[in-house]
This record gives sequence, C-alpha cells and structure tokens, in this order.
Amino acid sequence: MDAAPDLNSGGTGGGGGSAPAASPWRPRPDWLVAFALVFFAVVYAYPLVRLVAWSFWAPGFTFRNFAQIVAEPAYLQAFYNTVEIAGIATAVCLALGYPLAYLMATTDPRPRMILGALILIPFWTSVLVRTLAWVVLLGRNGIINQALLAWGLVERPIPLVFNNIGVQIGMVHVLLPFMVLPLYAVMARIDPSLVTAARSLGASPARAFLAVFAPLSLPGVVAGASLVFLMALGFYVTPALLGGPNEITVATLIEIMVRDLLDWGSGAALGLLLLAGVASVFAAGAVYAGAGRLVGAERA
Amino acid sequence: MARIMKPSRRQILKASAALGAAAASGPFFHIGPAKADKGELVVASWGGSWAKALREVMFDDFEKMTGIKVSDDGPPEAAKVKAMVESGNVTWDILDTDVPAILTMMKNNLLMPLDYAKIDADKLAKIPKVLHHSHAIGHKIYSFNIVYNSKTFPRGKQPASWADVWNGDKFKGARSFNFRGGIYPQLEFALLADGVATEQLYPLDVERAWRIYDKLRPLVTKWYGSHAEAIQLLSTGEVDIACTVGPRGISAKRAGAPIDVDYSQGKLAADNWAIVRGAKNPEAAHQFINFALAGERQAGMSKRDPYGPSNPDAFKFLSESEAADLTTSPANIKSQFWHGVDWWSKVGPDNKTEAERQTERYAAWMLRRI
Repeated sequence: MDAAPDLNSGGTGGGGGSAPAASPWRPRPDWLVAFALVFFAVVYAYPLVRLVAWSFWAPGFTFRNFAQIVAEPAYLQAFYNTVEIAGIATAVCLALGYPLAYLMATTDPRPRMILGALILIPFWTSVLVRTLAWVVLLGRNGIINQALLAWGLVERPIPLVFNNIGVQIGMVHVLLPFMVLPLYAVMARIDPSLVTAARSLGASPARAFLAVFAPLSLPGVVAGASLVFLMALGFYVTPALLGGPNEITVATLIEIMVRDLLDWGSGAALGLLLLAGVASVFAAGAVYAGAGRLVGAERA
Repeated sequence: MARIMKPSRRQILKASAALGAAAASGPFFHIGPAKADKGELVVASWGGSWAKALREVMFDDFEKMTGIKVSDDGPPEAAKVKAMVESGNVTWDILDTDVPAILTMMKNNLLMPLDYAKIDADKLAKIPKVLHHSHAIGHKIYSFNIVYNSKTFPRGKQPASWADVWNGDKFKGARSFNFRGGIYPQLEFALLADGVATEQLYPLDVERAWRIYDKLRPLVTKWYGSHAEAIQLLSTGEVDIACTVGPRGISAKRAGAPIDVDYSQGKLAADNWAIVRGAKNPEAAHQFINFALAGERQAGMSKRDPYGPSNPDAFKFLSESEAADLTTSPANIKSQFWHGVDWWSKVGPDNKTEAERQTERYAAWMLRRI
C-alpha cells in the first residue's frame, strides 16, 4: 500500500479522462470510456428505463402499482424484513470483519497473505452451492446438531436453519469479504507511526487505538458497511433457501409478482422502491467516504 | 373450461404489446438457445429425467416418422413466454407445463387455441374430459399427495389423510408445504382436514380454508419453493411429511430414498401440451401433440419417469408392477380427486382469477408475523 491516508478526497469514481496528454502518441482514454458507456447504456440503462416504464404502466400511466404496495401492510412487512436482515448482517460482518482487517493490516506479510486467501477462497464457489451446504450443516440431521446431541449438550436438535439464524449465517459467510477488503484497504494506509506517537505522548494502548486508529479507519467502516448493506438488500437465494416466513424479503416478493402472477408492473414497482432504497444508502455512503472507495477504485 | 377473453382486455394487451415492441426497437438483443424455424419444432419442458425420456420415447421416433426435427429447451416459464410473445421473437412451439401456468398464459393471451379436429377422436374419447382445455390438453398426470419419510413412519403407520397431516399430536414430525414457485396454496387439503367431503369441496370455502391453514403454520418447519426441494428435505430427514408431488416421491423411492407416498385424498392435476401464440410451426405442433397422446407413447414415458398417463390405453403397455405405483392406476385414482380448474380460473370483478387472488393472499398470509 502506498502513500499517506488521504481521507477526504476519495477517488474520482471509476477513472474518467485524465489531464491532456503531454506526448502526441498517447491515445486519449475517452475512446475507451465511450465503448464502456455504450455497453453500459445497452445492458443496464435501457433495461432500467423499461423497468421504470413498467412500474408506471398498468396499462396506461398510473400510480396504481405503487399505491397497491403502500396499501398492503404485508408488502411493507417484506421491506421491513429486508432492511432488518440486511442491518443485522451488516452489524455482524462489521463485528467479525473489523478485528480481522485490523489483524491483516498490522501483521507480517506471510500471515497476511494466508488470511487474505482464506477470506477470498469462498468467492470461488457459487452462492447457491454455499447456501445449500449450510442446509446440510445446520439441519436437524446436520453435523452441528448431531455433534451437540452426541455430546449431550442438547436434548433435541436446535433450529439453526429455516429461521433468522440460518439466514444470518449464510449471508455473513457470503458478505464478509466485502466488509474486510475495504476495511483492510483503509487500515493498511494508516501510518503506524501516528499510533506510536500517541503512545509516546502517554496514551494507553486502548486510548491510542480509540483516539487515533479508530477515527482514521472510519471511512473503511462506512465503505464496508454501505457495500455489505446494499448487497444484502438485494439478496435472494440465501433468505429464500435458509429462511422461514419471517425472512421473506422484497426479492422473494418480486419473484412471486414476476414469475407466478406475471404482474410485471407491481414487480417493477417493488424493484424500483428497493433500488431507491439502495441508491439512498449508496449516496449517503458516497458522501461520507467518497464514491471511489465504494466502487473499489482505490487510486485516483 | 373454455374461457372467453373479454375483447377490451385483448385490445389493451395488443396495444401494450405494440408499445413494448416500439420501446424495444433500438439496440436490443434477443439470445435464444434454440430457434423454432421451418421444419423444426422446439418443445420446452421442465428438464431433468422427464426431458431425457421425452427424447428417447417421443422426439427420436417422431423425427424418424415425419422428418421434422425436434429440439428441446426450457424451462417453460410463463414469464419467458410472455417476453417472447411481446417482443415478437417466439423461439418455442410447444410447451409442456402445468395448469396454473397455462391459465396465467391464457389470461395474458400467450397461447394458441388447440384445434381438436387435428387430434384423433379415439384418443380424445379416452382422455378424461377434465383435461381438455381450450388452449391445452393434459397428458402427464401428477398429484399432490402425502409424501412421507418411511423411516419415521413405516408403511401402515403413516399419515393416511389430511386430518392426520394436520394432527401434530398423533403424528409427530416436521412438515413441509409449498409456498411460491407457482404452486397454489393447498386450500383443498385444509378443508379436507377439517372434515369437508371431497364431493363438496368446490366452490372452496376460502375463509374457512385459511382459518384451517393457520393451524398448519406451527407444524411446518420449511415452506419449500420447488418440488425438488421438498424431496430433498424428505430424503435428508429434515422433514418427515411433505405435501408434494407423489410421482416425484415414487421416483425418489425407486432410487433408494427412504420415501413413500400415500395416495389417499390426493389432488390430481396435469401437465399439458400447449402451443405458443406466434409459434412458427402450428401444423407440425398439432401433429406432434397427436402423436404424443398415444397410449403406447405415454406408457413409455411412465416406465422411465413414474407419472400417470392421461390416456388409459397406456396401461395396456405397462406391467402390473409398473402400473401399481402410478397415480392414475385404477387403484390409486379412486382415492383421489381432480383439481378444480374451473374454480381456480374463475375471473372476479377485479379482473383477477381466484388463483391470482389466493396467491396474493398467500404471500400476505405468510408475511404476517405471528
């Protein structure tokens, strides 16, 4: 990791044009950006416009799709469930991820490499496979319950899956890297001599951490937490397979609308409301930590 | 159950489809894995062992007999068909799917009416009338049954009625019922569990059924989203009783899983042949459906995947042991009833079918915190 921490500038948000080229042979990067923009417009912006159109069409321009959602308390419950699940997952990821990132940032290169690999390995397996594996591990006849029974710690299997516990285990497993990596990126750039200076001026280790290191790591916390929270809002497979009735999320509701009822207008309206929620979380995170860190562009 | 579409709605759909097509002009790609074209049929089925059997029993011989190439694709989700028809790029000819999906697609004007004159009269006479729909015909009979773990409940001690399934004191064990995945709430079974006679089920007493459904909720550990999930939960011992497709249970049993099926009070339903509106080859599609409805063909399918044939002629080509487990075998069909298509497809003043209304209510019911 290079340079001293530059906490307020963040990135420029995904590498736009640079200063005019000093040499005439250097190609202007605008061309490359143009291709990317066209691609983005076709595969993302256009479908998004269609989505917006569907949500206000039933047939004819209408607010009915939105009115139906707001009027049905059960649908609001799905939004509540979604935010609750995402909020808890974010808090758990932070509680587990912060010490992990701290360890990675302060340890020697070799253990750091091993920790990094351990965090990244789950990325190589599909979410579906990982989720189904949890059903096997956490189930009534799964190894965890069988071990607890064999050791006499419980009398009957405890419900670890098809409820909030199962969903949280599955989600934290998938999302933890998205918390650890931004945290580590920020922590690795905190100058260790600042903490040493605090210590030499008489601060206790705890005081030096709380007054110096923790505030400097805050942008990483915001970046990691926003990233995890907004990914968790859109999670579909994990809550559907590992959850019960209290874990029905907006994504599941959209599935019912689009696939079972062919009510694409209501599905689009639900999707748009969720998108608006995601966008406002992203905007809040971006304002605080700088958009660059949220999208992973570290170097400006 | 021929249902007439209100012209106003059809016009509206046409208008909105035209608008969608207008919006779709521009740089927009459609990628289809198979393309229906002249002299070729594309049959969309749900895949797995059934699709493999279709290839062996149906497609290969049909190709030899007619020279029309058949390719398979899927899954035949209504949402995919809607996207095809509305974008004017129909890549499938024939669908092989269930009645809920057929009704949804009929309501959205996505299917072509079947021309019954193109199907042999003697086949039609044998296939139960309840399976003749205006836009589809039932060929593969499945049923919703009491499917149970045979280690928990040895044969003879299994729950043998829906009242038993609802009785958590007498039959201890975890239950699994369907939620989402295009499967209706099992309101019929709630009423049967409450003592309603099979003959008096329809029209369903909806309020009573939902009250009885409340009693099921604490007994269910997992609401499954697909039948494969239900069978998985049963075979790993995660649940002891599931309300799911009996033939899938038989299939798992034959593969050695500790699963068995009680056909008592089962609800019979069918997967259907249907033709997509705008299919490139309607003539060949009818020809294929007529071919596929033969008893001998259906028997070949039942041997490979234990679903019930809709044409009773098929039993002439099945041995006694092959027939015994099938849901439409003379012994099993007696203790079951036909799913009330007319009731579920009835359109109310809000322009919603009973199926749509109850599906929405199911989501709201499930989301209610208790």
